Amino acid sequence: MKVNSRTRCVLVCAAFIGLFSIFSFRLIYLQAIKHDEYAGLAAEKHIHKQIIHAERGTILDANNEVLANNIPVHTVVADATHLNNRPAIIDLVSKELGLPPAQVAEKLSSERRYIIIKREVSEAQTGALREKLRAANLRGIYFEHDATRVYPNGSMLCHVIGFTDFDHRGIQGVEASMEEYLHGQDGFRFIEHNRAGQEIVPYRGQERPSRDGYRVHLTVDLSLQNIVENEIDAAMEEYSPQKATIILMRPQTGEILAMANRPDFDLNLRAEAKPEEMKNRAIIDMMEPGSTFKIVAAAAALNERKLRSDSTIFCENGLWNFGGAALHDHRSFSYLSVRDVLVKSSNIGAAKLALSVGDQRFYEYIRRFGFGERTGIELPGEIGGVIRPPKAWSKISITRIPMGHEVGVTPLQMTVAMAVIANGGKLVTPRIIKSITTPEGKTVSSLSPVVLRQVISPETAREIGDALRGVVSDRGTAAAAAVPGFTIAGKTGTAQKVDPRGGYEHGKYVVSFAGYLPAEHPEFVGLVVLDDAHTSKPELNYGGLIAGPIFSRVAEKAARYLDLEPHEEIRKAIPVERVEKTTPAERIRKARPAERIALTNASRH
Amino acid sequence: MNRSHRRNCNTVNAASLARWIVVTAFLALAGLSYVYLTLQLYHLGERRKAVENELAGLRTQNDIASAQITALTSRSALQRRLKEGYLKMVPISEANIVRLTMPARSAEDNAIQPVANPSGTK
Repeated sequence: MKVNSRTRCVLVCAAFIGLFSIFSFRLIYLQAIKHDEYAGLAAEKHIHKQIIHAERGTILDANNEVLANNIPVHTVVADATHLNNRPAIIDLVSKELGLPPAQVAEKLSSERRYIIIKREVSEAQTGALREKLRAANLRGIYFEHDATRVYPNGSMLCHVIGFTDFDHRGIQGVEASMEEYLHGQDGFRFIEHNRAGQEIVPYRGQERPSRDGYRVHLTVDLSLQNIVENEIDAAMEEYSPQKATIILMRPQTGEILAMANRPDFDLNLRAEAKPEEMKNRAIIDMMEPGSTFKIVAAAAALNERKLRSDSTIFCENGLWNFGGAALHDHRSFSYLSVRDVLVKSSNIGAAKLALSVGDQRFYEYIRRFGFGERTGIELPGEIGGVIRPPKAWSKISITRIPMGHEVGVTPLQMTVAMAVIANGGKLVTPRIIKSITTPEGKTVSSLSPVVLRQVISPETAREIGDALRGVVSDRGTAAAAAVPGFTIAGKTGTAQKVDPRGGYEHGKYVVSFAGYLPAEHPEFVGLVVLDDAHTSKPELNYGGLIAGPIFSRVAEKAARYLDLEPHEEIRKAIPVERVEKTTPAERIRKARPAERIALTNASRH
Repeated sequence: MNRSHRRNCNTVNAASLARWIVVTAFLALAGLSYVYLTLQLYHLGERRKAVENELAGLRTQNDIASAQITALTSRSALQRRLKEGYLKMVPISEANIVRLTMPARSAEDNAIQPVANPSGTK
């Protein structure tokens, strides 16, 4: 009996030991071996990763005027499984969001858990809708925080600023090139919900705050940009060109002060813009520059000491047969000094300057001026232009390239080349970004001027500058580009438009003027380009008569804004009427006899 | 013997009882404190959430207001108002401009300050 009793006790104990051992093993298996797996599953069920969205950085001009910022909006979404009264919800949502009821009904007809009803809904609209849904006890509609990009100045500086896509990623202009800085970094927070879907705050897990995007400050001064935009609009109205570009740049630092193109578009209505309107023609359009390119040939010849600025060149009395082709001047010139080749814009003189240097050296100078390669400005899509190497040149190329034919350059490259003359022969990289700061104002990056190379000696640059001052005189081709009170140096260009099918388009010209002011100590370099301007008479379609006066008006206003002190002697010497906004024909009529000769003789160069 | 036995049976170990009472009271207090503090934690969490929402709302309103101010004071908006006649600007004539000092040069941009033309050159 005793034995049986003991045996039973032992058996019961053994059973318990076995049972608890199984429990223990199971417990260890679940808690230790399978811990990560089940902890993950539990976390998936209860813990959510909440994204804390970073705000995109703002873009500002040189004086901290806002060019692009954000406005909070909401995306209205629905969870079809939570909808408790579809007809009432459809009716209310369509009414409050201004959507057709059929469209809302179609979206809510599925059983999906995430349906986007409308994006970019204003705070006021969502507030009203939220209240009405709550009052009517309707469920299943949710509001996601979002932000939309707004551009307070509409179309002003549109090609430089660029825009973003639906995901707030920059796809053009500074928005694209500075994406890395503007975008910021989203934060996150692990949270747990109760059965009602509300967050249990004490159970908040790991958290990382968001970092808002940096502020990007441009070198562009909106006041100067405004001057340029007004003048380019006036030019579009007066001459109806196909395209137009104006650039202002500080030669010593390479800062772009203003950059405007036409056609343009409103950044706030970018969905309606045509692709042609979105192109920043200052950096992606190639053109044959025409006579503005003569500065390269003259600079090469003087810098190589093949000639002096007062050396004379025989200009063949206006017609020169070279390489089996005739080269014409717009007027018959016999002997011209190197300086006067620029002042009078002689094609034959420029060709002989290039010949004196030779194919290879001339090509090297073209490249040294920055043609044929990207300038390196912080804008996307820039092209390098087309400069063929000497081995690809024809016999007559050496006579055509100096007058700006057979080459493709961008307006910005032409501005930079003129800045080389204004800047004592130094080639400076153009810049559009001044600095990058945190939203609190701490400087993250501040860009300083980059001098790429000394293209020509300061002495050569001074000699070319002196010649360019003569261009904007009664003797030169751009008398109408003068600004009362200031000395200006510059060069006109009139190039026949290249036909994409080959050859040139008859009667269509690209007129331009590149210059700087004041000539003695340049504060800014400017370029005006009008593609296919329409004038009352074909003989008025010249750089000196169209682009020159536009430059004059821009430069005068810019000089006033920059508080440049006018030169009294020059103010007296140059009549103020010269810069009044008139049509070229009127301007010629108004001009004094001496000026009239200069204006009517202004060439296609 | 009987008296002694009764005395022995009715003996209450006061020290032990007191110890147990203290322990029980401590445990009860600790339990109640735990419950109270846990409830406080939830309550404060809810308040924190409410304050966070309020702060986010204020930030949103602030962003909207600053965006509206930027839009209304932007150059384009001001120019439009100028054109419509809401604003009027009178240009300052050259005779009324008095230059007291030239703009100061800073170390950062010593090369880009406006300068006066040296007189006598043309």
